[in-house]
Amino acid sequence: MLGRLARGVPALRRALHTGSQPNSTTAALDLIRSQPSHYVVANFVGRKYILAPRDLLTVPRPRDVQVGDVLTLDEIHELGSREYTLRGNPTISPDRVRVQATVVEHTKGKMESIFKKKRRKGYQKTITHKQPYTRLRIGDIEIPISSS
Amino acid sequence: MASTILRGSLRSRPANGHAAFIPQIRKLVFECCDRWPSSDNTRTFLFSNLRTLAEKNPHVEIVVRQRIHREPILRGFYINNRDKVVPLNGLSIGEIKQKITLLLDSSGAQIKPLKRRNVESTTESARGIWSGLHADRPVL
Repeated sequence: MLGRLARGVPALRRALHTGSQPNSTTAALDLIRSQPSHYVVANFVGRKYILAPRDLLTVPRPRDVQVGDVLTLDEIHELGSREYTLRGNPTISPDRVRVQATVVEHTKGKMESIFKKKRRKGYQKTITHKQPYTRLRIGDIEIPISSS
Repeated sequence: MASTILRGSLRSRPANGHAAFIPQIRKLVFECCDRWPSSDNTRTFLFSNLRTLAEKNPHVEIVVRQRIHREPILRGFYINNRDKVVPLNGLSIGEIKQKITLLLDSSGAQIKPLKRRNVESTTESARGIWSGLHADRPVL
């Protein structure tokens, strides 16, 4: 009987803690906007990253991107704060959330040596390779107030 | 009781590019010899393309120096007080342009392994850190 009581109590505590569910995307975004810090799960060049403002994102260098360019992340899968999360289906539309990233530099990684050998055939070679990377600084996460 | 603000919490953390972007390169120095043939391509580039390079990159101070009886060199000076030196010996004009782009795009930081460093963050996590003392007691 005590075990059954204990099982009932956490559900009640959870209901008191969260309050009523928001019934529209605007209400959900209002709840998220009211909290001080946010994060975003965004897709960039085919890979998903958890990003916050002021982060430095390092990706293999995409073409046609210059240093100083400001890119808008248009594939945002999730927007969250401390207690609330909004998950897109599959993405949140770009007029609901806006995140920009500034290209800070193009660098190369450390030199890597790849050694290839086929034994007893007299074939061996060493390939040296430096992967080019691009580093981007994530800007503020803007959740514009919509009139609808 | 007013909460005390610790002096360390009022510091600003560097985040170039977050609100405003400042290009990291400040000076580009070309050093070449007037006579030696190893500096031929560098000299051709300087006479033909230097002006357009300077116009396209107004934030960079471009200097041409003499380096008598030595191989040609390209030096880039950055805001983090480091410099990168690239030899231009034996390069064609296209390759010289590639080296210039390499220095213009760089931030001057030392080359470090970037394969596993996807996101470098100084922001504290928005969802906070899990604490066993503040979570629901697990029920079997």
